[in-house]
Amino acid sequence: MKTTVPVIIAFLSGFLMVISFFFRPEESFLGRIEPEILSWVTIVGGFTLLLGVVSIVRVNYSAVKRRSDGWIYKLATLVSIFVMIIPAIIPTSWSPKFGTGPGSIYDWCFTYLDAPMMSTMFAMLAFYIASAAFRAFRARNTEATLLLATAVIVMLWRVPMGEAFLTMIHESLPDYINTYIMGGANLAVQRGIIIGAALGAAAMSLRIMLGIERTYMGK
Amino acid sequence: MSFWVILAYILLAVSGVVLLYLTYRTDDRRFIYLAVGIFVTFPVLVTLDLPFKVSPEARQLFDAVEALPDSSTVLLTFDYYASALPETEPMSIAALHHLFRKDCKIVTMTTIPLGGPSISERVTRSVAEEYGKEYGVDYVNLGFKANYVAVLKGMGTAIDVIYPTDNSGTPLSEIPITQNVNSYADFDFIYVVADNNIVDYWMSIVNAQYDIRVGCGVTAVMAPRFYAYIGSGQMTGLLGGMKGAAEYEKLVDKKGTATKGMGAQSLVHLLIIGSVIAGNIIYLTGRRGRDKNKPNGSAA
Repeated sequence: MKTTVPVIIAFLSGFLMVISFFFRPEESFLGRIEPEILSWVTIVGGFTLLLGVVSIVRVNYSAVKRRSDGWIYKLATLVSIFVMIIPAIIPTSWSPKFGTGPGSIYDWCFTYLDAPMMSTMFAMLAFYIASAAFRAFRARNTEATLLLATAVIVMLWRVPMGEAFLTMIHESLPDYINTYIMGGANLAVQRGIIIGAALGAAAMSLRIMLGIERTYMGK
Repeated sequence: MSFWVILAYILLAVSGVVLLYLTYRTDDRRFIYLAVGIFVTFPVLVTLDLPFKVSPEARQLFDAVEALPDSSTVLLTFDYYASALPETEPMSIAALHHLFRKDCKIVTMTTIPLGGPSISERVTRSVAEEYGKEYGVDYVNLGFKANYVAVLKGMGTAIDVIYPTDNSGTPLSEIPITQNVNSYADFDFIYVVADNNIVDYWMSIVNAQYDIRVGCGVTAVMAPRFYAYIGSGQMTGLLGGMKGAAEYEKLVDKKGTATKGMGAQSLVHLLIIGSVIAGNIIYLTGRRGRDKNKPNGSAA
């Protein structure tokens, strides 16, 4: 029962979405099903966010309670979650500081705490990339040498100083790089990847609908 | 260019070489981190107006928006997290300048739960104030709804089923701009600014199934992937990273943070290229030495 019912729901949902694609929403019952199911999906999506919050609170709370390694950081996570959530869900009719609009506590926390922290994490990549370029990006064989040479050319092409340098060699060199590397070799490889990923997604969807793939049930 | 600026850049190049040498001698990566720090900070102190070409993909996006009739309705998305703001936000700002200048009606939305609505609200309001545009009449913020695949698909049949209200809770039926917008068919163009794989869904669901033109601005690491959509004619124009944003700023004649960032990006790219070359010279000369010391003298 615990397996059969989810498989039936998955099959019917997928099947109805496929069928309804061929019907006009305003003219038939099957056409009207599609927006209906999609609005359910967004509601379920909202609940998954809630589930995520509950899960992170449970995991961190138990770690703080047990005083496990780095519990102080987990406590900071818990405090941060509630500092962001509580003012955001209180109605703005109480105070303009509540809710998620401009000038609210949530907005202030996002703009002045969260956004700088996220940007800092991302910016640190530049330091690691420079270090990795010096220590690990080696011309060990033909393939690696080709990759390395292409990467250097593209990096040079993507910045004004590099573009100026390439133009000194030949006026149209930056255009050739765009045409033959980005629009040639790169495009061919990317097409292969996109087609492969799409076929994989279609195969996975069929496996879920037919009940062959059951990992989404935690198995 | 003045003598002092040239001298400053020569000194910077020398310091880069010295720091790379120190990294090699001491095997301490902090020297290379210091080099990155200097190379990022330097262009802020010694500004250099660097000329650059506009790529055909950026030009295509600009031309597509330029060709829209005045007062067209355009969907502009803010599908990016705060971590990618330096690359993506200038694109959104430049797009808003272009669209407001053409008196377009702009509907904004986001598929990013953390901060997406705040970013779109802040950016759109600031540019709208510059042009004296009114919320609800000239632009509207739909905000965020969970599960982006369902959102993108659902908006094809009825936007108000997915977004019954705007970001502040006002029903769409009460907002002038959304009274005549029911589905993708009512948009003249979709301008996606994203830092994640949602672009694939904008192409495969919205462009392919609802036959509406979609132009995109994405981060630099994502851009090569979408040349396939440009090649197939599915995507109408592409901006790649901060350089793409700077190209669009140049096209709309509104220099912003992306154009200013070109100096830092140029120097750091050159430092990384220098690191790759230096690292490989050290590796190749070291390998030759190792090969010579082998008993039979043969290469590995």
